[in-house]
Amino acid sequence: MGEVIVITSGKGGVGKTTTTANIGTALALLGKKVVLIDADIGLRNLDVVMGLENRIVYDLVDAVEGVCRLKQALIRDKRFEGLYLMPAAQTRDKNAISPAQMQKLCEELKEHFDFVLIDSPAGIEQGFKNAIAGADKAVVVTVPEVSAVRDADRIIGLLAANELTEPQLVVNRLRMDMVKRGDMMNIDDTIDILGIDLLGVVPDDENIIVSSNRGEPAVTEENSMAGQAYRNIARRLLGEEVALIDMESGVTFMEKLRKLFSGKNKRKS
Amino acid sequence: MKEQPVVFKGTRNGLQIYIAHGSDMPEIMEAAAGKLQSGKPFFEGATVNLTFFGREFLVEEQTRLLELFARYMKPGSVEFRTQPVSVERKDLPERDHYDSFDGIEEGMTRFVRGTVRSGQRVSYEGNVVIIGDVNPGGEVIAGGNILVLGNLRGIAHAGATGNQDAVVASYCLQPTQLRIAGYITRAPEGETAKPPYPEVAYIRQEQLFIEPYLPGKGKQADFHTT
Repeated sequence: MGEVIVITSGKGGVGKTTTTANIGTALALLGKKVVLIDADIGLRNLDVVMGLENRIVYDLVDAVEGVCRLKQALIRDKRFEGLYLMPAAQTRDKNAISPAQMQKLCEELKEHFDFVLIDSPAGIEQGFKNAIAGADKAVVVTVPEVSAVRDADRIIGLLAANELTEPQLVVNRLRMDMVKRGDMMNIDDTIDILGIDLLGVVPDDENIIVSSNRGEPAVTEENSMAGQAYRNIARRLLGEEVALIDMESGVTFMEKLRKLFSGKNKRKS
Repeated sequence: MKEQPVVFKGTRNGLQIYIAHGSDMPEIMEAAAGKLQSGKPFFEGATVNLTFFGREFLVEEQTRLLELFARYMKPGSVEFRTQPVSVERKDLPERDHYDSFDGIEEGMTRFVRGTVRSGQRVSYEGNVVIIGDVNPGGEVIAGGNILVLGNLRGIAHAGATGNQDAVVASYCLQPTQLRIAGYITRAPEGETAKPPYPEVAYIRQEQLFIEPYLPGKGKQADFHTT
């Protein structure tokens, strides 16, 4: 019997889809059987980030409505065995399915998979309610910005009202250089307000955008710092104790580089 | 410029309506209806004490005016007088005037365990004790005192039914907005420093004061009512 984890945030654009794709891929890399469900009906993205858009035949709504068998709506990942995607319908909207249907779907899927990851849409309306309906656990994604943290707080309250009382937090797109200058909320401030367990911190990384556009999750790249962070998050989900990446050292290295370059520039000019 | 026929003034005691001397009835009705319409969501469902002053009315005119107001709110006590009501504190034996909660020293209390998060609201006619934080976007409304055994970052409204003796106390008082009875205050712009000691907020001489409640811990600071 697997575990159903919903990945949600309230605010849009904080990296739910990227996080779902990367955690899912990382779990598959660790040998788990994983299915990713795109619950953002009408605005599907997860298939694009996973690079599976052109393989979609049936989708979540088809499966729920019985147009196809459950298995037919699952797309096998092109890189990793044991990784599947259930895409959202693009021509329908959030009201096409109900929380009860979603719950039934999750029950069925978790019999065949170790992890069922649900990529929730932004907002707190029907789509959100559908996404959390079948979940056993929740991961709340936020970025270190006041507005995103507010929304995360609201979401945590709503999750608690739906018996998901112990969500875990992923702080995405952290820029250590800005934190150091005092221009960005630091992790402690964020956790202080939200008061939930930290699952991981993902540094801001340009590679994420590049790899998302290419349809290849960043976890597959050994050198990507964000990829490393996602791999660690996956290991923590499996119950391993993994220390947070020392991002400070990364920054000092970057700073060294920057100094080096700025020094060069000066000499040139 | 011509004097406005109708002027509304909100007070702790309800609504004072000034009707200009020499204005005629259709003019008054039109002006009042316009003001009521624009304040419709504010008045809706509320019980409001009405005090009319200024121009004198015939009984029949009074009835027409009241009927208009009753379409937008539930009139509480209604008074027609020629002089404005003094807003001196002495004149307001509010316990008699209000149906306010008077269990400030000892009375009904609700205990809430856990964090009041954004979008959540705790409201109770007595005192409220929050064993946890109140986050930005969260609201606590109490007829009596509000105690937050944690960080108060959201909105707290103590004495919401009119008791000005109510206090708000917290281990870390950083509210978005603090309200006691009819007073609404907000934190000074830009200052986000976390107070290093527990504080209590109360009303004294029509001003909201905030000070540490453990003697000798920090200096008195005051918020200004807005």
